[in-house]
Amino acid sequence: MSSNIDEASAAARARLSAGRPAHRTGSKALAMLALVIIALLYVVPMLTVLNVSLKSKSAFNLDPTSITTDLRFGNFAEAWRRASFPVYISNSIAYAAIATLIYAATAVFVAFPVSRKYVRGSGLFFGLYVIAMFLPGALIPQFQMMLHLGLYNTRVGYVLLFLVDPMGVIILVNYISSVPRELDEAASMDGCGYVRFVAKVVFPLVKPALASVIVLHAIGVWNDYATALIYLPKKALMPITRGLMVFYGQYGNDWTTLAAAMLMLMLPMVILFFSLQRWIIDGILQGSLRG
Amino acid sequence: MVPLLLLLPGLLLYFAISLGPSIATAGYSFTDASGLLGAPIHWVGIDNYKEFLLLGANVRDNLDITLRTLLFSVLVTLFQTAFGLIAALLLDMRLKLSNLFRTVYFMPVILGVTIVGLVWTLFFYPIGGPAQKLLGIFGAHSEFLGGAPSKVFYWIVWIQIWANMGITMIIFLGGLQTIPAELREAARIDGANAWSVFRNVTFPLLTPSLNTNLLLEIIGSLQAWQLFLVIKGPTNGLNVLGIWVYALAFGRQSNNPTGVAMRQGYGAAAAMVLFLLVLAIGMTSQHLLARRERRILG
Repeated sequence: MSSNIDEASAAARARLSAGRPAHRTGSKALAMLALVIIALLYVVPMLTVLNVSLKSKSAFNLDPTSITTDLRFGNFAEAWRRASFPVYISNSIAYAAIATLIYAATAVFVAFPVSRKYVRGSGLFFGLYVIAMFLPGALIPQFQMMLHLGLYNTRVGYVLLFLVDPMGVIILVNYISSVPRELDEAASMDGCGYVRFVAKVVFPLVKPALASVIVLHAIGVWNDYATALIYLPKKALMPITRGLMVFYGQYGNDWTTLAAAMLMLMLPMVILFFSLQRWIIDGILQGSLRG
Repeated sequence: MVPLLLLLPGLLLYFAISLGPSIATAGYSFTDASGLLGAPIHWVGIDNYKEFLLLGANVRDNLDITLRTLLFSVLVTLFQTAFGLIAALLLDMRLKLSNLFRTVYFMPVILGVTIVGLVWTLFFYPIGGPAQKLLGIFGAHSEFLGGAPSKVFYWIVWIQIWANMGITMIIFLGGLQTIPAELREAARIDGANAWSVFRNVTFPLLTPSLNTNLLLEIIGSLQAWQLFLVIKGPTNGLNVLGIWVYALAFGRQSNNPTGVAMRQGYGAAAAMVLFLLVLAIGMTSQHLLARRERRILG
């Protein structure tokens, strides 16, 4: 009787394992199909931009969708010139670099003592960063402040607005609390000053998290459109996102040139992402853990 | 002493630029502040709230806008979570090219709202554009972003999900990596099929990632406005609270819905309504989600 059951279950197992490879291959193929379909939802709209950027205007008007037969690289030169690319791009680079540098430096000096509870009220300070996402939008009082400080429509005012980002502090605090305390305590025994200590010990210690913070913050500044729309009406001060929308407003039907301009903005970001992907993804995971 | 001193620059910047102004929004909502330099500011009590909720010419609009904000949030949260979960589960099978797929799905997060808005404006090009041709295969036709606001709304829901699904997926993938492979393997050997492994093992253990995602999406979608700004700007019949605040506070000349440019006191009141909505819904969901997590994971 018992051997019967054993036999039955052995048979069942055999059936199961015999069936599995075929079943697995089938579901694998199905999963691959699903992955490809989702990928197409992402790639096709972006390839449309590439396709249009290479079309001549008349070809676009005739059929915006068909795969281009001519390769109008001239669209790129035209976009570069007509969309004032050099001005906008250098503005964007300057804003992203300066804001990120100052922000990252100050954030480490906040996150380290708060995470280690080296200052009184650390828990409260961290709480103030964590609740930020629930608070009312700061848009209107910020604007009033900038207006009355005479910083409206200035580079300084615009950059000031990007010296703050609760997400980065949260990433750093979460990361530092995962690093054993002994490491920095041993180092601090040497009796070097705090600034030297932070520069020589803490910065190297938090490098992985700091890389994420830097990349994410720089991307945030680079991609900002709304703040630039509100604060920077002067063309000479605009970052590239705003410049692109101005160009879109002026030449809304000139999609071949616009697509070329978009592509010139997308390409560096795509390359950047492929090389910095790890930091970006780690940062988002760390930042989503809230205390 | 020195640590505190060096902590101060960052903290003061945070107070001055972010936290302070955020709280000051409450104060401004009781004034008639405008965005013009030198214009006097008066205390008006709860007039802005009365105008917004009870008496003003826009009360009907305000109600519609609030309901639309809720609908936007529900749709985005539901579908973004579902798509993000499906994508993460597929990627977790570690098939060929998985890393490449992950990169592609995540790309819009990096490209930012301006590029995303323009890419879809081009893809939705109404005269013979790619999406139009695609619909044409099924004999259908759409005005896409040029159509009635009530329909454009759903295209924006789609673009919002498309743009942010990558974050949801990444958080789910992080959660999936914390589930020991043996657990799922053991269930499978016991004869559980793929669906019941997912239902009884994977999904319960994903609860922390699910909660993180839901909370980020609920709050993020309630506050969303930048995609609306890039794609259509403030538009009657399409606005949600986030862009309504922008329209009231920064809308210049004729495009301000109340007919007066830059009504920042009134805009601050709208921002407070949005804040209370976020607070009520955010806190309630956090409470419910935490309770569910305790029940499942102990």
